[in-house]
Amino acid sequence: MTDRDRLRPLPAALLVTALLAYPFVDRALQAQTVHAVTDAMIYVLLALGLNIVVGYAGLLDLGYAAFFAIGAYTMGLLNSPVLGSPLYGHAWSFWVVIWISALVSAGLGVVIGAPTLRVRGDYLAIITLAFGEIIPVAIRNLGDITIDIGGWQPVQRLNLTGGENGVNPVGRPHLPGVNFDTDFIPWYFLILVIGAASLWAMSRMRHSRLGRAWMAIREDETAADCTGVNPVKTKLLAFALGASFAGFAGSFYAAKLQAITPGAFEFNVSIMLLCMVVLGGMGSLRGVILGGMLITLFDRILLAQMTFLIRWIGRSLGIAALASVDLTLWRWFFFGLGLVVIMLIRPEGLAGRRVRPPAADVDEREEALALVTAPPPPRADTVPAWLRQSAPSAAAPVTRPVLEVRGLTRRFGGLLAVSEADLRIPPRGIVGLIGPNGAGKTTFFNLITGLLRPDRGEILLDGESLIGLRPHAIVGRGVARTFQSIRLFQNMTVLDNVLVGEHCRLLASVAGAVLRPPAVVAEEARARDRARDMLAFVGLPDRDEELAKNLAYGDQRRLEIARALASQPRLLLLDEPTAGMNPRETDALTELIGLLREEIGLAVLLIEHRMEVVMAISDRITVLDYGTRIAEGTPAEIRRDAKVIEAYLGKGYEAELVSG
Amino acid sequence: MSGGVGLLELQDIHAYYGNIRALKGVSLRVGRGEIVTLIGSNGAGKTTTLRTVLGTVRPLRGTVTFDGRRIDRVPTHRIARLGIAQSPEGRRIFAPMTVLENLELGAFARTDREAIARDLEHVLALFPRLRDRLQQKGGTLSGGEQQMLAMGRALMAHPDMLLLDEPSMGLSPILVETIFDIIQSINRLGTTILLVEQNARMALRVAHRGYVIQTGRIVLQDAAAALLHSDVVRKAYLGEK
Repeated sequence: MTDRDRLRPLPAALLVTALLAYPFVDRALQAQTVHAVTDAMIYVLLALGLNIVVGYAGLLDLGYAAFFAIGAYTMGLLNSPVLGSPLYGHAWSFWVVIWISALVSAGLGVVIGAPTLRVRGDYLAIITLAFGEIIPVAIRNLGDITIDIGGWQPVQRLNLTGGENGVNPVGRPHLPGVNFDTDFIPWYFLILVIGAASLWAMSRMRHSRLGRAWMAIREDETAADCTGVNPVKTKLLAFALGASFAGFAGSFYAAKLQAITPGAFEFNVSIMLLCMVVLGGMGSLRGVILGGMLITLFDRILLAQMTFLIRWIGRSLGIAALASVDLTLWRWFFFGLGLVVIMLIRPEGLAGRRVRPPAADVDEREEALALVTAPPPPRADTVPAWLRQSAPSAAAPVTRPVLEVRGLTRRFGGLLAVSEADLRIPPRGIVGLIGPNGAGKTTFFNLITGLLRPDRGEILLDGESLIGLRPHAIVGRGVARTFQSIRLFQNMTVLDNVLVGEHCRLLASVAGAVLRPPAVVAEEARARDRARDMLAFVGLPDRDEELAKNLAYGDQRRLEIARALASQPRLLLLDEPTAGMNPRETDALTELIGLLREEIGLAVLLIEHRMEVVMAISDRITVLDYGTRIAEGTPAEIRRDAKVIEAYLGKGYEAELVSG
Repeated sequence: MSGGVGLLELQDIHAYYGNIRALKGVSLRVGRGEIVTLIGSNGAGKTTTLRTVLGTVRPLRGTVTFDGRRIDRVPTHRIARLGIAQSPEGRRIFAPMTVLENLELGAFARTDREAIARDLEHVLALFPRLRDRLQQKGGTLSGGEQQMLAMGRALMAHPDMLLLDEPSMGLSPILVETIFDIIQSINRLGTTILLVEQNARMALRVAHRGYVIQTGRIVLQDAAAALLHSDVVRKAYLGEK
């Protein structure tokens, strides 16, 4: 496992020593920065939570401070004498309420997320923006509620939140022998421990089945859905987990400050947190910590110190304008400027993943891969054994078709994209689907895989209807696909792409990802072995850690097929798999498809414009034109069909067959 | 035909594409009035060559000359105004705009209204299918129609030279024939063409001359008919055994 967030032993030991020694050095020097640094760590915790939502899952959340507010107010209301909470005043109060805060925030995350995460990016940003505005306003107004129904007032001046004045005091933690009341050092260590634990959990989530699913959603939601990842559930999990970290941070914030007011959770806090994530580098734990620390400490320490310094210079030189400067009034200016500069010189953020500099051997490697020297032809003995196990036994007499489509119809406005189309694929069958551009072939694929709903017709997989199922559920039933324009998860590694393909066959949950019980560790190890087998089979061995986007075109096509096969399908849909491949690559792919049928009994539906491929490997061919089936038959029959020649093959095709 | 005076000349071009040294001394020449094809596999450097002509990739070494003028340090948008237009790979049309708007955008840099109207008629005569779809959104066209639109848009700039990147990709056999017929018509009307193709057979049939590029180097150049019968091309690019 490549863990970019893991430190080497020596720097790690130095870092831990520095973190442990820091507050005592600070006290010895009388620098009095521990208070500000502790606050900075709370903001870092918040930014790390936001990083799950924005950096991992790619959901733009403009109202994240609302969850921070919910956490802080949960602590403020439950652990304070102001509203007479029964939980207040015990030694355990704080330690219990922090968990309640996290749960309440997570719950609210689900409530807000469930309806909104079905919509796409921009809308989500607007909805979260509104949510971030509503919460502080609601908190202000819930401090003084009077209900008046024609003079009858069932509720009079009810105070739920403390209104504009906020809540004061908020109870502090109690530990025997530790002074949380007047000393900041215990707070420092408490938040250090909490922060380290959160970091540990996040790093483990990032490198799990769940973390891969988040990144797949971020890279290409449709492709993720068609690879077996449930997008709504996965996004909701990111949203709720992000919210729970905010709730956690909010409750610490309230208890440390001992008082909260609605002003601390305005829109600008959400934006500042977003700045921390972007400045540091979205998705990088190390970057977010750096970004969070820099921004908070800049705000809390550097601006104040600089103000003192400039004023002192002004006074010494007798320049009145300098003597009355207050840089803290300019903080947003400096944030803005800093962000612009960083985006110009390092758009990926301070610790974002950089484009690797050209390695010395890249040149030779590219030569070796140049496609004139074609990929090695696939071999039967490299067909992954685990695919075989999942295959239906060849001995069993199966007469029912794997896929049966009857009367499939789909209309776009006035256009009949697919009309009354029928198709049957027997077990171990390879069926070609051809037709002029715009004939409805890709629409046909989208109907089978659940991206589109048919207006009419039946789609049966092994006799069971697929209609109404979401794409990820159809992958779960055993239908995998590739796309006409390759849709890999570009910024994920080759290995991770295949692992996302296995997603729907793996079981690890959030708790499993963090705690890593033996079953999860074993499952993950097996998944990785399988993914490597798969990559070796399609001709991409030893390239696990390369980013998918850096592969040559033909290699990307093979990787997409590997990803599809990783979900252990019974039926594979290939949409122009040889487009952009040279003749040798095309030959290798043709052999590979044949092997899949021979060795594991896979059924294949193939859209392809290269007639030499379609004619060579299809048992039967269906021809669509204007959404209607105009011919069906064996390759030999199709080749001579007058209607097919007219609409699709062209007269030149016959001539070419004769001459070529 | 050797091309006579080169309208476009590339001299010893070395260029990186991302981290990969994509071109290692490419020289080629396209004479006025010619169709020249550049064939080769994925990753051989075909698209990078086109990009150095358009200025979206800057060569480390070497010169690009168009109509006697060096253009390897000229910004892309000004190269377009010098008379080079490109129909990009993957048919990058403006999906939410109508076919007509897409075509008009191709003439964005021009001000001669009458000539633009004349060229629009020209393009619609070449691609009758586009005329039927003028008010339709670009994104609703089929793959073949989008390819036609991308070529039509490039022609609306009234270029001296047209760069075509994989025009046959993803097209049905019958449409591939149509597209190559149209390429020949465009050329007969006076436009010089540099054609990058995977479909070596069709490209060599319509081109006057051809270059074969492998791993960033030109390994073969000849009259198109001669290349069609050369052993290297037959084996590596025509898929003959």
